[in-house]
Amino acid sequence: MKIEGEYVFDAPREEVWKVVRDPEVLTTCVPSVQSVSKVNENEFTGEIVLRIGPLSGAFGGRVTVGNEVPPESCTLTVEGTGKIGFLKGVGNVVLVEQDGGKTLMKYSGEAQIGGKVASVGQRLFDSVSKGMIKQGLDKLNDILVKRMAA
Amino acid sequence: MDRKLIGKRVVRNEDPRLLTGHAQFVDDVHLPGMLHAAFLRSEYAHARLLKVDVSKARQHPGVVAVFTAEDMGKDWFPGPPLVSPPPTVKDVVFHSRRQVPLAKDKIRHAGEAIAVVIAESRYIAEDAVEEIEVEYEPLPVVLDLEQALQPDSPLVHDDLESNLAARLSQKKGDYEAARRQADVIVKRRIVIERGAAAAMENRGIVAHWDAQSEHLTIWDTTQAPIPIRNGTAARLGLSEHQVRVIAPFIGGGFGPKIMMFYPEEMVIPWAAKQLNRPVKWIEDRRENFYATTQERGQIHDVEMALSRDGRVLGLKDDFLHDTGAYDPYGLTIPLNTQSHNMGGYDIRNYSSEFKVVFTNRIIATPVRGAGRPHGIFVIERMMDAAARELGMDPIELRKRNLIPPDAFPYEHQIIDQAFAPLILDSGNYKAVVDKALEIIGYEKFIKEEQPRLRREGKYVGIGVVPFIETTGVGPYEGARVTVEASGKVNVTTGIGTQGQGHFTSFAQIVAEQLGVKVSDVRIVTGDTSEFHWGTGTFASRGAVVAGSAVHAAAKSVRQKVLKLASKVLEAPEEELELEDGAVRVADIPQKSISLGELAVLANPLRGAVEPGTEPGLESTSYYGPQYGATAFGTHAMILEVDPQTMMIKIRRYVVAEDCGTVLNPLILEGQIHGGVSMGLGNAYYEKLHVDENGQLLNASFADYLLVSSTEMPRIEVAHLETPSPLNELGAKGVGEAGAIPVPALFAQALENAFYDRKLEVLEMPLSPNRLFELLREAQENEKSV
Repeated sequence: MKIEGEYVFDAPREEVWKVVRDPEVLTTCVPSVQSVSKVNENEFTGEIVLRIGPLSGAFGGRVTVGNEVPPESCTLTVEGTGKIGFLKGVGNVVLVEQDGGKTLMKYSGEAQIGGKVASVGQRLFDSVSKGMIKQGLDKLNDILVKRMAA
Repeated sequence: MDRKLIGKRVVRNEDPRLLTGHAQFVDDVHLPGMLHAAFLRSEYAHARLLKVDVSKARQHPGVVAVFTAEDMGKDWFPGPPLVSPPPTVKDVVFHSRRQVPLAKDKIRHAGEAIAVVIAESRYIAEDAVEEIEVEYEPLPVVLDLEQALQPDSPLVHDDLESNLAARLSQKKGDYEAARRQADVIVKRRIVIERGAAAAMENRGIVAHWDAQSEHLTIWDTTQAPIPIRNGTAARLGLSEHQVRVIAPFIGGGFGPKIMMFYPEEMVIPWAAKQLNRPVKWIEDRRENFYATTQERGQIHDVEMALSRDGRVLGLKDDFLHDTGAYDPYGLTIPLNTQSHNMGGYDIRNYSSEFKVVFTNRIIATPVRGAGRPHGIFVIERMMDAAARELGMDPIELRKRNLIPPDAFPYEHQIIDQAFAPLILDSGNYKAVVDKALEIIGYEKFIKEEQPRLRREGKYVGIGVVPFIETTGVGPYEGARVTVEASGKVNVTTGIGTQGQGHFTSFAQIVAEQLGVKVSDVRIVTGDTSEFHWGTGTFASRGAVVAGSAVHAAAKSVRQKVLKLASKVLEAPEEELELEDGAVRVADIPQKSISLGELAVLANPLRGAVEPGTEPGLESTSYYGPQYGATAFGTHAMILEVDPQTMMIKIRRYVVAEDCGTVLNPLILEGQIHGGVSMGLGNAYYEKLHVDENGQLLNASFADYLLVSSTEMPRIEVAHLETPSPLNELGAKGVGEAGAIPVPALFAQALENAFYDRKLEVLEMPLSPNRLFELLREAQENEKSV
């Protein structure tokens, strides 16, 4: 399944990059994340509770950051397993400077899901994931705007 | 023959029990101390199984046992081959790879069972399943039939050179010569996808080992209780007399309930014996999508050679058949396809090779139709393509090629699914086609109604599709008929029942012979302690094969009744008649004796039974046909399509059916209605969506569309009877018939509705979305021409 989108942050690229690479901040933004811990600079583990239609369950996962070109781009590899299935994904994140101190984020990736999440939840997975990404990015933007104002 | 009961619309004996909720299904079995099982199933379609850690699950309160493949020790071995490859065909390739009780080392389809938890309740068992930790190494999946046969494809079975499970070719006449003589060659590629059988009742098993009597009782939703009994005894090292398999009332079989052995059928009885406690497992709907067999994946490359005047000179069809992860059911489905590729037509030259392909999907075994709908879809689509090519009326083209009534028995010179010669025993095909045309009013529709409807902006099309159905195959079935002291009759047979009305149609056969009320005949099916021999309910054979055995046993009992009554009433047998539960002298009706009294006299408590006679009014008989009886039918439909939404409405649906002697029109029509609903599902609703990793994406009835009552048309059924010469009843099967022609019919009606838009349907199932795409493609092709 493809995940693709764009988002414009009301903050300069350097600032956006900082929060994107800060798991403490990210944790507070991604909906339903229960915990995140840093394994090393480029690897984080954590737990997230997903609710997809009739299904809900905790996923234990690992996020690895690769191909890092600060503050322009990186690759995120996500792997998670839980009682309602598994998910795997690789995504590219690109930050492009915009006029007026804004930053355009482009993201694109492939996600693979299996188990109950796929067989019962697939029809909803697309909209759930889109919703979660939108919510997360909005929250991240709020944090950035507040930081800028401070 | 003048028949009193056979052929009558007798209401079903079994319905009061079913309608008042008194019929026993497997899940109705409750035993003291019974445990409940839940299976851990693979999330991956193809993976190495690195580690299965069940330690946490074993500690879960209420869990009695957790078993993996390792725990089964020497009792872990694959299921038996159900059907062996045909020995009579030259150069056949067949690699037998059978399903295992629990996966070991490797996973070959999503949903394959890895471990079983047995606990005090199903809730506990399900919770504990989630505590099993599995380490997988995912492997690239094999899904596409053509890619699967490429040399660089990943392998489903590592010990084989390729994913080729089987290859078989059959020839009749000389296709190449026919091709050289032909005026027109029509070539098409036809693709058919998988659907689910989706029986209302999922599978279920209860196993109870009684250690004191050393006896195992199994309640199983199986269509084949006797083979399950025999195989279970063999697996567990027991005598067949130590195992009783009961297939009680079953909420639909449709084929997948005759997959011997399912992993659960191997595991649950074994576990019950290990634990010395009854164990129940009831499949849930999601499991049914993952663990119950499916059908219909095939790709055909077809060529038809015709003369200008519309004679089919030859047909060539090379096809791929998707068998899924294993091939326990042998070649039944592709052989059925091969046998139905020529439909009811007199085609003298035929060449067909099929390749069976292993993929990372659930095993394919017969589902109502079992390869036959594919064969009919292929030949009927080709007929329509050829008619367009020749500029001929599609019905006229068909009529020119139908096997004429004087050509029976018609030998096709190939073998069928039972490895018997494909011989069409009898029929009057043109009369059936004409009947359907007449009822639906074909001429009038084409000439008057369709143009009028089109002027009103309505897209309405007509379809007419004839088809054959090979039915009633061997090897045999048996039955025992007993007149009891009450005057009522008890009948036992080895087959199982999943809604076919056996309790009534068999009772009619017996009542016809013995002159009793249909409701006074008690039928027992699906209990191995009641009848020891038999095979099962499949291939539209129950009424033909078991029905013929019942008929033979009833006739034999009639002879015993007449012989004894002749002595008691002091009248010659020829002057006796059996009426109203008694034997009487035809001319002196007051001189009579009831069947009950005769039964008592036949089983005396004192005195001696005469040498050379048997006690009781009882007889056991068997019937095994040399080859199957072949039914014929024609479906016709008028279909309206909303050109905006592609939603459909079936305005008329006509079935003209010749399945030989009709035993009970009410039951026959019920079978046809059910079949048509499955066929409509296969045409426009039901499709299993699998992603590129082999994950099923619509494993619930929220996403998998079944045809419901609101989509079902009113069906007009007409019967014609050409009795089969192969059995005394003259019966031919009909259980699968309703489903067989529907996809081909639907395709034809769609094309006809869009006659001016060059729509061609070469795939099934369709959906409103897919039809929209096809119409757009047709439009683009039109522009580019």
